[in-house]
Amino acid sequence: MVKLLMFEQLEKFRQKILSKRSKKTVISISCGTCGQAQGALKVVEAFKKAVKGHKEKISIKVTGCHGFCEAEPDVIIFPEEIFYRNLKPEDAKRVVKSILNGEIVDDLVYKENGNSFIHMSEIPFYRKQMRILSGKNPLIDPVNVEDYIALGGYNALAKALQKSPQEIISEIKASGLRGRGGAGFPTGRKWEITRAQKDNIKYMICNADEGDPGAYMDRSLLEGNPHAIIEGMIIAAFAIGAAEGWVYVRNEYPLAVKHVTIAIEQARELGLLGENILSSGFSFDIKIARGAGAFVCGEETALIASIEGKRGIPRQRPPFPAEHGLFAKPTNINNVETLGKVPIIIEKGADWFASIGTEKSKGTKIFSLVGKVRNTGLVEVPMGITLGEVVFDIGGALDGKRVKAVQIGGPSGGCIPQELFHLPIDYESLTGAGAIMGSGGMIVMDENTCMVDIARYFTNFLQEASCGKCTICREGTQRMYEILTSITEGRGKEEDLTLLDELGRIIKDASMCGLGQTAPNSVLSALRFFKDEYLDHIKKERCNAAVCQEIISSPCQHTCPIDTEAPVYISLIAKKKYADALKIIKKDNPLASVLARVCHHSCETKCRTAEGGEPIAIRNLKRFVTDYGLRNNLMLRAEPKPRNERWKVAVIGSGPAGLTCGFYLALKGYDITIFEKQPVIGGMLALGIPEYRLPRKILKTDIDYIKSAVGEIRTNSTLGEDFVLDDLFNQGYKAIFIATGAHKSLRLNIPGEDAEGVMYGMEALTSLNLGKEIKIGRRVGVIGGGNSAVDTARALLRTGMPEDVTIFYRRTIAEMPAFKDEVESALEEGIKIQFLTAPKRIISDNGNLRACEFVRMKLGEVDETGRGRPVLIEGSEFTVKLDTLIVAIGERPDTSFIEREAGLEISQRGNVIVNSETLLTTRKGVFAGGDLVTGPNTVVEAVAAGKIAAESIDKFLKGEEIKREYRITRPSRYIEPLKFSDKELEELLSAKRPVMAHLSAEKRKFNFQEIEQGLTVEEAIKEAKRCLRCDLETKDGKMFLEKLKEGLLEKQEIKNA
Amino acid sequence: MPKVTIDGIDFDTPKGWTILDAARFLGLEIPTLCYNEGLSTWGGCGLCLVEIGTGEKSKLVTSCAYPVEEGLIVRTATKRVIDARKMVLELLIAQCPASKVLQDMAAKIGLDRVRFKPKWEDCVYCGLCVRMCEEQMMAKAIGFVNRGNKLKITTPFDMTSEECRRCGACMYICPACTLRCEGPEAENVLCGRCYNELQPTCLDVYENYACWMGLKGECGTCVKEEDEKKKEGRCSDE
Repeated sequence: MVKLLMFEQLEKFRQKILSKRSKKTVISISCGTCGQAQGALKVVEAFKKAVKGHKEKISIKVTGCHGFCEAEPDVIIFPEEIFYRNLKPEDAKRVVKSILNGEIVDDLVYKENGNSFIHMSEIPFYRKQMRILSGKNPLIDPVNVEDYIALGGYNALAKALQKSPQEIISEIKASGLRGRGGAGFPTGRKWEITRAQKDNIKYMICNADEGDPGAYMDRSLLEGNPHAIIEGMIIAAFAIGAAEGWVYVRNEYPLAVKHVTIAIEQARELGLLGENILSSGFSFDIKIARGAGAFVCGEETALIASIEGKRGIPRQRPPFPAEHGLFAKPTNINNVETLGKVPIIIEKGADWFASIGTEKSKGTKIFSLVGKVRNTGLVEVPMGITLGEVVFDIGGALDGKRVKAVQIGGPSGGCIPQELFHLPIDYESLTGAGAIMGSGGMIVMDENTCMVDIARYFTNFLQEASCGKCTICREGTQRMYEILTSITEGRGKEEDLTLLDELGRIIKDASMCGLGQTAPNSVLSALRFFKDEYLDHIKKERCNAAVCQEIISSPCQHTCPIDTEAPVYISLIAKKKYADALKIIKKDNPLASVLARVCHHSCETKCRTAEGGEPIAIRNLKRFVTDYGLRNNLMLRAEPKPRNERWKVAVIGSGPAGLTCGFYLALKGYDITIFEKQPVIGGMLALGIPEYRLPRKILKTDIDYIKSAVGEIRTNSTLGEDFVLDDLFNQGYKAIFIATGAHKSLRLNIPGEDAEGVMYGMEALTSLNLGKEIKIGRRVGVIGGGNSAVDTARALLRTGMPEDVTIFYRRTIAEMPAFKDEVESALEEGIKIQFLTAPKRIISDNGNLRACEFVRMKLGEVDETGRGRPVLIEGSEFTVKLDTLIVAIGERPDTSFIEREAGLEISQRGNVIVNSETLLTTRKGVFAGGDLVTGPNTVVEAVAAGKIAAESIDKFLKGEEIKREYRITRPSRYIEPLKFSDKELEELLSAKRPVMAHLSAEKRKFNFQEIEQGLTVEEAIKEAKRCLRCDLETKDGKMFLEKLKEGLLEKQEIKNA
Repeated sequence: MPKVTIDGIDFDTPKGWTILDAARFLGLEIPTLCYNEGLSTWGGCGLCLVEIGTGEKSKLVTSCAYPVEEGLIVRTATKRVIDARKMVLELLIAQCPASKVLQDMAAKIGLDRVRFKPKWEDCVYCGLCVRMCEEQMMAKAIGFVNRGNKLKITTPFDMTSEECRRCGACMYICPACTLRCEGPEAENVLCGRCYNELQPTCLDVYENYACWMGLKGECGTCVKEEDEKKKEGRCSDE
């Protein structure tokens, strides 16, 4: 290369490069460390082969990271900017062919929610970004300086060298650029201070010691665009008057080291580094210092000590490095991204840069967006964009999961809860919310992230990363870790939180360097925003995210509201001990056959097999066992204790809550009477759930089982009409449990709702289930998106009366609260769903329904439920002709009986008020639970309420303190794990969740036959073997395995195991 | 000569002094552990913390390492300082309950509880031995190894060092492993207080004060404040 001696020569050189470049199509392949890890180099090889013979038309550019990690390895085809994602080597030929033919390879195009995005700029991940720095990566081959110069590179340097240092500093000050390393100190002022020092020798350092988990902005820049950093360094050095510079980069970034080394050599060859740069009289050169990977060496004084060859330990500032830095000389230290922005500011002007961002935070900032989002990657956004925009619009929440918080600034940052996602991203807002900008790590956390566990993870990182000099940081982080560990293991105490808070505040206050001063942020912010989660761990032994192993034992058992020991019965199925499995299931669940069909199986949503596969079909396995029990007449009768006539208990309502409460009290020997308003037993189970999901025969077996323990179930007796609570007490009942459910349908409250032909979901279902005649027209509309809407629609279809059933829902399918598979089945059966539609008024003729006017909605900002709020689109009204309209937008409890009862209170939402821990109402001796208290809820929650009420009533009658007791989750026994051969293991790893045999849509849609047919023996055993046995991962579980290995188990235990 | 104000005393300090130098010169007591006049400054133990600046910008710094600068306002015994010091000492005692130096200091500054599980270690990583070995004995036989929770002081590669002359200076200067306190037992990590001195009395009530003599009300400021506070309290009670 020719040495460039004058400014004009640089420009000439640029023109020469540009003239050499023809208008070829360029395939830019993302080959940063991340892309290479995903196999990008093989893709490059394949492309090189594929373009052979087409070199005059197509060239290949191996570049740094394009930023879209989720799509790696990806290619961008210039000049059209066509984006192909997740390429495999075999795709290369097709891509090349498509370029030659001017076509698009459809299956490689990025898709989201059914839409295809061909061009890079259209993709949601890129659309909201402003990639003024990172956007150059796809255009530059990092080892070829010509690419950088062709894009106008080093022009800023030429410009700067023709100005005075003071002018450059003023320019940078005017741009409002602040340090991108995290603290946000104004860059111009830092330069000014260093410039003002009287020393002859000064140093310039680029801080590329990037070490937080989940952050890789600096690496991507150094790998992909090293000349930008070098140019920034030269300009900075000129401004402060330094002749020597250092890039301090971690040795575990080999590609970055390599590219920076090559870039420095090239710059030297061109005369852009070295003596008398471009004849300006200014000399500067850069050396590389490779760090050994200590997080603390990102702190400037520790970094300086490390370059000097000493232990990387921070020291007291002042004196600041600007006065007393490397080798005791004035030293200016800037972060990689800060330096990368310098040439852009010089080139485009301070005003342009300052026009981006907020009042105090200017320009753009690169974040690495990782964690629980669909699109992970590096995002460069203007300051002032809201957190919500970055997380939801650029990242996108994972399917059906609720985003809980985002951790900003890496381990030393803090978490910001979803409620604060409207905050703009700037230095002050983030600090105000307890986080820091940090270097830009952004870790998104959703409902499956435990805030205690994540704080513990970061604290663990910091207790290892602390240099150990300051007592408060070294010992303090260790003690915080100790306390957090005890909380995650279920040994926490409430006063631990006070101690954590006090310790955290003092570590912040008394530490010498930035590491210690920010170390407690993750804990303090989690305590500030998620204290309830900490208290759940401490007081209730609960980890709702199902993460903390020692508390949860296995996620399925912990998540089950009634503590069903799923791992135990699943391993018993795998050993073909079905009768034992049935005992385990029935121990915690008197409605086992019912729940084996209708449970919403929250256990499966937390199943760890789902990470990288499909969750175990836990509910279907339960059904396999209960069906086996029915076929073989096992456990059809319960065995209660002898009855104690003195203690009579009344249960009102024979739904799942009432039945369960009565059952467990009866087992303890109490004399139970259950009162039911309807002529049939079962409440919502009998009236609300259609027979095709829950055959009456099955319901009856569970009710018979409960009846075998409970004294009497009196149907057709209504509280408030046939009797009041006082009557019961007078008759000698010592305690009463009310669980009358929530049957009253909510009204739409729109004009014309009283027309003939408008019905309510629960009314219609009840009538159908009781076998009453109802009038259904040809065209049926159902309004609502919950289970009652879908159930009603499907049940009405089965009457054979309607020709057309359409559900109208105001949000989209993703937000529908009804069970996913039910919605899919409904669609299969020919039921239509109109999304983003809300009713406006009902049109009737002589009081008879004729049509309904609807209006279109769109989804607005995410509300507190984590779903987009439906917003009306003005002028989008349309009318649908209907003969029957079912309103199924929700139910609430009918509490009219309360009017005649003294001492019971109702909340504003119309539910009976109880102590949520004990279910005791405001009246002594009266308890309440189920939907009556919670509003419409799942069956299993009602069963759980029944169990809690039974516990509380037992305590009450025995005269004990009514208090809920919490324990860490454990199985009642451990089962010896099966041993698999390597071949079997391999098979199991690739095995899919079995699909239960079911009636086809054609066979089922006009009758009430049960749709699902159960698993076969082979399917069940195979599925049971897939279980990962999380229950053996606790200390207790491991101890069991240890004993098993050493043969220390008692005979009985061996039999069990 | 930078003019500084320490606990309300205006003072012209010689250039190059630290806050600790100036405070000691004025007879103000600041506890130290890793500081030794004959050795270079380390600034790690965190016991010599003082508060500098006023209002929102005030902060805690290690006085042994902080150079005096023009207009510096220093307060050596605010509640913030004492709370931090007590926490540091609590952590140190939990680490090395058998150190008499630490136990005496606990008695002196009024630390009355330790909430952490004792580690029963014999080192507090103050680095006195390392500096002693290097700076006074000119041996450089020992040094720090590892970081964070794995930090330790040892010879290179944990092997017997030829540089070490067995002079014992490291042990002589160690605040943890030589002078043992027989008092503490596992249940109560604080000892029986064989050392005692007058305690500052009003720290729990007042944010800022400087009367280390324990004679409540002598300096006057707190008594006045107390009256005002009482008045306010009474008003709000009514």
